Amino acid sequence: MNDPARIPHEERALAEAARAGDHDAFAGLVRLHQRRAYLVARAIVTVHEDAEDAVQDGFVRAFQALDRFDPRQAFGPWLNRIVANAALDLARRRKVRSTEELHDALQSPFRDPGEDAELRSRLADALAELPERARSVIVMHDVEGFTHVEIGEMLGIPGGTARSDLHHARQKLRVLLKDLRG
Amino acid sequence: MTDELKFPERSDRDALAEPLVRLLRDAYAPPGNPASAEAYWHGLEQRILARTSVANFANADGQWWSVLGGWAQAGLVAAAAIFALAGALNQRFNASESQFVYESMLQQNTPEVLSAPTDLLAAPEGSRSDATLIYVLSH
Repeated sequence: MNDPARIPHEERALAEAARAGDHDAFAGLVRLHQRRAYLVARAIVTVHEDAEDAVQDGFVRAFQALDRFDPRQAFGPWLNRIVANAALDLARRRKVRSTEELHDALQSPFRDPGEDAELRSRLADALAELPERARSVIVMHDVEGFTHVEIGEMLGIPGGTARSDLHHARQKLRVLLKDLRG
Repeated sequence: MTDELKFPERSDRDALAEPLVRLLRDAYAPPGNPASAEAYWHGLEQRILARTSVANFANADGQWWSVLGGWAQAGLVAAAAIFALAGALNQRFNASESQFVYESMLQQNTPEVLSAPTDLLAAPEGSRSDATLIYVLSH
C-alpha cells in the first residue's frame, strides 16, 4: 500500500503541491481521503459527531505537518495514522461513553429503517460490551477492510496484538449474539 | 510454480457470519443515503478546508510577525545608532553655542583697556580718595 510505484500519479502530484503550500492541492487530498478518514475515526470514537471532529482535527494536524510528509510515500496511510491519533485523543478526553449513548449512536442517524430494529439493538449492546480497542479493531477489520498491520500502525500496537484483539472481539460477539439468526 | 501457489492466502476461518458482518457495516455506515451523501461529503470538505485556511492564515500571520521580528532587530540597532549620533551632535552644538554666548558676553562687558581717569591721578592725596569714592559711586 505504501509502495511508491503504486501511488496514483494524481495523489503524488497533489501531495507535492500541497507540501509546497498550494491550498487547492490540499483540498484535492481532502476530497480523495475524507471518507476513509471518517471511517477510521468512527471505528475509534463510535459517535458520528465525534468522528467528524476527529476527522477535522486530523486534517488540520496533517496540514500543519505537511513539511514532514515524504511525498514518495502514500498520503492515505500517513493521514489515517494522524486521524486515528486525533480520534484516540478525543476518545481519551471524552472518557468512557455510556452504553446508552453507544446504543443510540449505532441506531441512528444513518441506518436503514427496514432493518430489524431488535437485531440492531442487540448488536449495539454487544458492541458496548467490548473493550474500546477491541471494538475499534473489529470495525476497522471487518467493516473497513484494513489489515492487521495497518490497524496496528493506526492504533499504535503491534500487528499481532491487533490480530489477537480481533480474534477475542469476534469470539465475544459470537457468544453475545449466539441466539440471533444467522 | 509461483510463491502464491506455494503459499496460498490463508482463509479467514475466524470470520464472523455474513449477516452479522452486514449488520456491523450498516451500523458503521458513513452518513447520508446515496442521494444526500455527496452533499454531506461536500459539507464536511468545506468545514475541513475552513479550518485549514484558519491554520494557514495563523501560520502566515506568524511568519509575518517573524519577518517583522527580524527587521525589528536591525531597525532597533539602526535607531539606537541614529539616536546616539543625534545626541552627540546635539551635545556638540549646545557646547559651541554656550561657548559663543559666553564669549560674546565677555566681549560686551569687558572694556578693551582699563584706564584710570587722569584727573584722579593728578589730584592731591586728600582729594584723591574723595575722587576715587566719587568715581566708584558714579559707576
